[in-house]
Amino acid sequence: MQIAVSGGKGGTGKSTVATNLAVALRKIGVKLTLADLDVEAPNDHILLGVELANEEPVNQFMPRFDYSKCTKCRKCAEVCEEHAIVTLKDGTPFLMPTLCSGCRACEIVCPVPGAIQEAFRVIGHTYVTPTPYGFTLVTGKLREGEERSMPLVVAAKRRAEEVREGLLMVDTAAGTGNTVSKAVEGSKLLIAVTEPTPLGIHDTELILQLGKLMKIPTWVVVNRSDLGDVGKVRELAEKYGAEIVAEIPYSENIVKTYVEGKPIVLTDYPEAEIFTGLAERVAEFLGGGE
Amino acid sequence: MQIAIASGKGGVGKSTITASLLYLLKDEYSFVAVDADAEAPNLGLLLGVTEWEEEREHIGAKVARINTESCVRCGICYERCPYGCIYIDEEGNYVVNELTCEGCNVCGLVCPVTGTITLEEVRSGVIRKATTKYGFPLISAQLDVGRPESGKLVTEEKEWAAKLMKELNLEHMIVDSAAGIGCQVIASLGGADVAILIAEPTPASLSDVQRAYKVVQHFREPAYLIINKADINPGFTGLEEWAEKEGIPILGRIPYDRAVPESMSMLKPVVEAFPEAKASKAIVEIAEVIKREILG
Ligand code: SF4
Ligand code: SF4
Ligand code: SF4
Ligand code: SF4
Repeated sequence: MQIAVSGGKGGTGKSTVATNLAVALRKIGVKLTLADLDVEAPNDHILLGVELANEEPVNQFMPRFDYSKCTKCRKCAEVCEEHAIVTLKDGTPFLMPTLCSGCRACEIVCPVPGAIQEAFRVIGHTYVTPTPYGFTLVTGKLREGEERSMPLVVAAKRRAEEVREGLLMVDTAAGTGNTVSKAVEGSKLLIAVTEPTPLGIHDTELILQLGKLMKIPTWVVVNRSDLGDVGKVRELAEKYGAEIVAEIPYSENIVKTYVEGKPIVLTDYPEAEIFTGLAERVAEFLGGGE
Repeated sequence: MQIAIASGKGGVGKSTITASLLYLLKDEYSFVAVDADAEAPNLGLLLGVTEWEEEREHIGAKVARINTESCVRCGICYERCPYGCIYIDEEGNYVVNELTCEGCNVCGLVCPVTGTITLEEVRSGVIRKATTKYGFPLISAQLDVGRPESGKLVTEEKEWAAKLMKELNLEHMIVDSAAGIGCQVIASLGGADVAILIAEPTPASLSDVQRAYKVVQHFREPAYLIINKADINPGFTGLEEWAEKEGIPILGRIPYDRAVPESMSMLKPVVEAFPEAKASKAIVEIAEVIKREILG
């Protein structure tokens, strides 16, 4: 089974919830793999205090033209939705590598065998990192300067599927664009981490919309719950048929453990109980849903 | 001049600081502000914008659609979609997941039954303009749920902002960049004259801002750093060491202050809501440095 932790906006504490929930679930005996699919800014390993390991490059197709064969018909340039191929006046094609998404549409339409050769470039890496908490962390990391995160999300998710043990828990990027839906896809439960501030509420609505469009039961975790009006979040949750399952008040302890890279759920701070409670509910859900 | 304010990842106070800086610069300079975080825009809210004067739909995203009538269920599209966006529904029909489709049209090219798969243009979001109560204009965007390519939305925002600069004879464009380092951020930083990076002293924020800085380096833009919540993690010196090593001047340090989240729930820049707060005083000093060092 797969579940997702997401949240409309950045900085709501999504990664804090994902990492602590993972540790807490493992503690109560749930086998799992955590996948950090926030490929533009993956931070779960930092919060868990581990160094990324087992690096694998993500190679992405890009065309290389064999100009001795190319007939300059321009078909490749016409079909490229990314406009990554520009042509000279006489039709000679050139590639602008960073725009290329690696979709292979150009290769498919090229009428001359061998005019388009397979070349690759590394657009990022995936990692499989053992953690001292009894689960493995899979991370996708986009290379700086690369524009498209979708292929990295797909590659990291695939690698997570390969190595997973038991539950797969994905931590997504902020926002509600299509890379977030790709990360969430296939989940049986969406845990939306929100904030009751006016800004947070605006973004909460978007993530609840996403859950609804994808027909995934959604739970809401309200972080920094004392910094705003939880009633507003409750209204929204009701409107979308979601349930508020935890409220985490603003806490210096969470900030402290966050900056130390130590999951709070392993400490004696009272906040640890919130995550343990949440883990128990998730375990119950998994038991009932399997 | 075009200034982009970036942080790598959200949640380090970038928008609150931006809102405050805009507030402090408004009397001496003329500019248009751009909220380039199309996936979670909030500068409008922070600047008290309640109504938009103009709204333009952005049609530009493409998604594939399969005509179930003519589909022969060969499954070729399903196998060839590079991002796994085609699935088989309960009735055995091949269907495109419009919330994940990238619009590359590979499925349409490989489908043996001509006309079965069409690539359709859909709305990817809206771009809006408002005149803030502080007098300067703001351009903001909102990507629709499940749409690709927020970068295109940001590019269009900046084009609109550039037009406004001409029309209204404004001196500067100040861009509040998106989170991350992908197409949105590249569109935010591309064309800027100066980048101001914001980070907090945590290992996670350091990692994010280092990645954003690599994107800045691609564009060979001079960069500056603001350290937010500078006192939450005494003993963590990584941020300062990194800035020194890279030769990135530090514009200032803002202490952690509960007045900041409080001003956010009041939907006001902290320097306006609590001018006496210690965070506000630090931001005022930073604004002075920006005036002197960057805006001249
Ligand atoms: S692989 Fe796709 S994006 Fe790249 S050049 Fe070919 S058609 Fe364009
Ligand atoms: S489609 Fe093939 S033959 Fe035609 S211009 Fe492109 S590479 Fe050359
Ligand atoms: S357009 Fe591209 S991403 Fe969309 S379904 Fe077709 S092959 Fe997949
Ligand atoms: S390739 Fe065309 S005919 Fe075959 S399953 Fe896909 S849509 Fe149907």
